[in-house]
Amino acid sequence: MIKILIVEDEEPIANLIRMNLVKAGYQCETVFDGEAAADMIEKNLYDLILLDIMLPKLNGYEVLEYARSVDIPVIFLTAMGDTQQKVKGLKLGAEDYIAKPFEIAELLARVETVLRRYRKTERRLRILDIEIDTDSHTVTKSGSPVELTTKEYDLLLLFLRNKNRALYRETIYENVWGGEYSGTGRTVDLHVQRMKKKLGLEEHIVAIYKVGYRLVV
Amino acid sequence: MKLSWKLFFITTPIFIIFLTVFGSWMIQGQFQNRLDQEMNQCMVENQMFQNSFELTWNSLSQEQKEQTSIRRLVDSFHRKSGRESSARVLDGEGAVLYQDGGTVITHDIIERMDDSHNMGYGIFQEAGKMYAVVVGRTSFDTYIETTKDISAVFDSRSDMYSTYQTGMLMLSVLVGCVIWLIMFFVMRNMQKLSGATRQFARGKYDVRVHIRSGDEIGMLADDFNWMANEMNLQMERLQDEVKRQEEFTAAFAHELKTPLTSIIGYADTIRQMELSPEETDMCADYIYRQGKRLQSLSYKLLEMTMAGKQEIAWKEIHVPSLLQEVKKTVETVFSEHQITLQAEAREGVIYGDRDLLGSLFINLADNARKASEPGQTVTLVGEPVSGGYLIRVSDNGKGIPKEELSRITEAFYMVDKSRSRKEGGAGLGLALCRKIIDLHQGGWQIESEPGRGTTVSVLFGTPAHAGRERRRSRRAKQRKENAG
Repeated sequence: MIKILIVEDEEPIANLIRMNLVKAGYQCETVFDGEAAADMIEKNLYDLILLDIMLPKLNGYEVLEYARSVDIPVIFLTAMGDTQQKVKGLKLGAEDYIAKPFEIAELLARVETVLRRYRKTERRLRILDIEIDTDSHTVTKSGSPVELTTKEYDLLLLFLRNKNRALYRETIYENVWGGEYSGTGRTVDLHVQRMKKKLGLEEHIVAIYKVGYRLVV
Repeated sequence: MKLSWKLFFITTPIFIIFLTVFGSWMIQGQFQNRLDQEMNQCMVENQMFQNSFELTWNSLSQEQKEQTSIRRLVDSFHRKSGRESSARVLDGEGAVLYQDGGTVITHDIIERMDDSHNMGYGIFQEAGKMYAVVVGRTSFDTYIETTKDISAVFDSRSDMYSTYQTGMLMLSVLVGCVIWLIMFFVMRNMQKLSGATRQFARGKYDVRVHIRSGDEIGMLADDFNWMANEMNLQMERLQDEVKRQEEFTAAFAHELKTPLTSIIGYADTIRQMELSPEETDMCADYIYRQGKRLQSLSYKLLEMTMAGKQEIAWKEIHVPSLLQEVKKTVETVFSEHQITLQAEAREGVIYGDRDLLGSLFINLADNARKASEPGQTVTLVGEPVSGGYLIRVSDNGKGIPKEELSRITEAFYMVDKSRSRKEGGAGLGLALCRKIIDLHQGGWQIESEPGRGTTVSVLFGTPAHAGRERRRSRRAKQRKENAG
């Protein structure tokens, strides 16, 4: 199981992240200051650290260096829209950053991406009779390959990562297509329909009235 | 044209003109002097000739007068040799009776002479030489004319002129050089100064001029340095101000985004996932609390802005009643936390805005409460001191570490973040207090020892306009009494 350390001095935010990561199937631990974070990093082995920058005792950058020395990937959390801070964090070796306030889907996507980059996730994802090879971007259903477009493939991954979670059309749009969702247009619906049909997921991807879709397994 | 050249071209001609006029006047004066001397000498000679002539003539008998010739007569007393002047004797009609050789000048002196004058003279030019001619009339109607070559006087004048011209030319060059040198040294300082000004304008703000001189340029240099120092100070102040502003904005963004992150995150969780009722409750509770935190932040900010802009209405405030009011406001919260609040104030007044001062002491009392453990006591003490009124807020709580003391009045600064969050603090309380105290021209001091407690002493003076206010109200009262 993947172990994630959450370093965040704001208890509500730490709790929020933990709650969602646990539901997504990760094992989590939380600490509230830099010193405790350093202690935990020394004692335990983590696959990923989510790190706030403004921390009591030791600041985030110092903890970041500490984490880099034991080669644990770090995503830092920042309240500043400040480019300088982001650049500094990335230069110091952080894998990615998440700007507060963030949406849960974004948090999960970024965590997943970094983990995949470090090959901490399984290369083969499985759902029902569908198998996905994230290395070669191939999808097979009951052993026979299914041709998916890039967008359909991304959509499938998004649903897989958010099992049993309602995905709003805007969330889907922002994660797969990127950019601002205009609220009109049927792009999302068309792609979801086609993907459902190709993979025979009609019964599992259910539409939620006026909201979006949910993958039920 | 450069100032040094301007001054050079003005000063040098003035100097030359002055010297020329003065020199000409001197030479002319000297010349006139010598000419007068020469003329005098000529006249004396003429007079002597005339006297001798008359004396000799008169000594002759009538017979002798007829027999002898004028020539012989003159020869008897007149020695021509060794004389510079030549002489002639003429009769009334202008016929020459005697002539001792030498130059003869044609002149009109005799015609110009009238009966009242026995002597006439003139200066004439003949063949490039100057001659002084003196004519005297004897008692027996003959004219004695003496002529003298006075070219030497005129020659010496033109000699002097040419010498003087050469001297003038050399002097002018010398004077020009000296003036130019002086200008150069004066202007060098000016150039230094203008160079420094240019560098300063280009952004080299640490440039200073080093001119040690008590003159105007030295003073200007000192003024320049002074201005540069002031500008540097001003710039530093502005930079500090900008930095403070930036820090405030960054801290503000952080304070705003933190509760927003929780609110958005938990709301997102609720709408996207099927949660157990307990989980939903927890999420809702977080949303509520963080919403409250945003609310308190916005209130405090509003208060700060108000305090920053407000013009104080200076009113007399009775301290014991003010502290009682404060006590009443915070009492419930204190008793909830089982902390005792004591307020005792000796009679006295302070001046200022009642609402703002109330807010100040509520904030200070609340801070003291947050630092205290259940069962401890917070005291509000007021007493008049020389030159004002002192109010102290003390607790026996956890205290503030020394290294944090200087920063606690910064907006959004919190010594114990997680604890003050739980208490619903936004980190703006002491920043607000400082603003209110500044507004009332008061002073304050925070003494603290970790583990022993904190005492905040606020001193209110009697501000000038408060005094005016008091006098005005007293006068109004008197007027009312008089009218009554």
